[in-house]
Amino acid sequence: MIRKVISGNEAVALGVKLARVGVTGIYPITPQTTIIEKLAEMRAKGEIETEIVRVESEHSAMAATFGAALGGVRAFTATASQGLLYMHEMIWWVAGSRVPVVMVVGTRAVGAPWNIWNEHTDFTSERDSGWIMAFASNPQEALDLTLQAFRISEDERVFLPMMVGMDGFILSHTKTNVLIPDQEQVDDFLLPRRQPYVIDPEDPIGMGNIFPPEGYMRLRESIDLALRNSEDIIKEIGREYNKKINPLGDYSTLNVSYKLEDADYAIVLMGAWAGDAMEAVDTLREKGIKIGMLRIRYLRPWSEKEIRNALKDKRAVLVLDRSTSFGRGGGPLYVEVKSTISDIVPQIKGVVSGLGGVTVNKSELLYIFNKFVEGLKDDVIWYYPKEVGKIELRTPRDIE
Amino acid sequence: MSLLEYQYFPVTRPNKGAGGRTGAWRIVKPVVDYNKCIGCKACFMFCPESTIVPSNGKVRVDYEYCKGCGVCANVCPVKAISMVNEQ
Repeated sequence: MIRKVISGNEAVALGVKLARVGVTGIYPITPQTTIIEKLAEMRAKGEIETEIVRVESEHSAMAATFGAALGGVRAFTATASQGLLYMHEMIWWVAGSRVPVVMVVGTRAVGAPWNIWNEHTDFTSERDSGWIMAFASNPQEALDLTLQAFRISEDERVFLPMMVGMDGFILSHTKTNVLIPDQEQVDDFLLPRRQPYVIDPEDPIGMGNIFPPEGYMRLRESIDLALRNSEDIIKEIGREYNKKINPLGDYSTLNVSYKLEDADYAIVLMGAWAGDAMEAVDTLREKGIKIGMLRIRYLRPWSEKEIRNALKDKRAVLVLDRSTSFGRGGGPLYVEVKSTISDIVPQIKGVVSGLGGVTVNKSELLYIFNKFVEGLKDDVIWYYPKEVGKIELRTPRDIE
Repeated sequence: MSLLEYQYFPVTRPNKGAGGRTGAWRIVKPVVDYNKCIGCKACFMFCPESTIVPSNGKVRVDYEYCKGCGVCANVCPVKAISMVNEQ
């Protein structure tokens, strides 16, 4: 096991290498590009055997990865933003086919207008597709979750694809200290690939064919049950990962609590700004405010039991969203948390911020948390750290 | 492999159905010469009706569904399939 200063994208590429992935369907999109550049570089040097399939679009990238997975090899792809939305159809095909595939999403804002910076809307918009969805908060976790993703999705009690989210630029391009496991450790952790069925000319099967209504509905229920049952399996595999590979990371729970036990106030969020939020929580604790943080690591399966347990007897809960769910007055995370704990927590507030790369650091978070502890009037606010300049609207006729 | 009760997969096995069955209208049918067949499965890959069935390293024709189009005879690299007039 060695330590190296690498970016999140490099960490993911190394995870793919260590997992001995057979086929990678690639199509570059910012901020995920350097993952596949790194993979192509390793392939050119002969360090990995992965078959790299260059395709014409993200839709085809997922289709190629899907086909390879059906053929029985470990398959990987990565995408972001518009690319993820372009994949949307194939994402449902993979989940509906119950085939283990792993994808990393370098999350980024969704157009229009063009914006390449970080937010979570692309990721959260796939939450009903039937994939297991984990979200990393640092490059180390991006590597760890990618390795665990292969094991989880190939478990016979799960057999569902898994995507790992990673904040675009904030994690994908920022270099930090990452613990890289040895090949032997990973070989010991990852079992040989298992999947429910495989395409084979000697033993033909029909797949993707028409299913009668009742059979179709039974399949949907089976996906739901497999996803909900995966909670215990994720914990089990996480504990094994702690033991065999990374004893410093704690993967025995789905979500991560920070100073929550004796807290009156709780912050709920997902992703990389958890680091800044932890520092803000520390600062407020020094001032004597009992505040804690819950980081959602798994958006799907949504661990209702764990979240209710972590947030019970809190005076108020603030949910920070880096994503939008238009027309609902709050982000997807706010809606999910509210539906989970509305009967046990009297006050649940939401903040939407950090969209499209808006900088939200410790000072901004401190401002938000202070306001929250003082008591927010509105249920949901959209917080801008700076004043936004006014844009004058003109109709084309005015331009002469 | 032990699968849990809730697991259910969208896969079917190819099966016979009344839908594609050939009537009495076929004029020619493919006949495989097993002395020539090398088991390359080119005919299996190209048959538009999936009536070529791989068996024991060679191929067999499912005459119940074969339409007699002759694609298999054309793609066979060793000319092991000949189209024979229906009696």
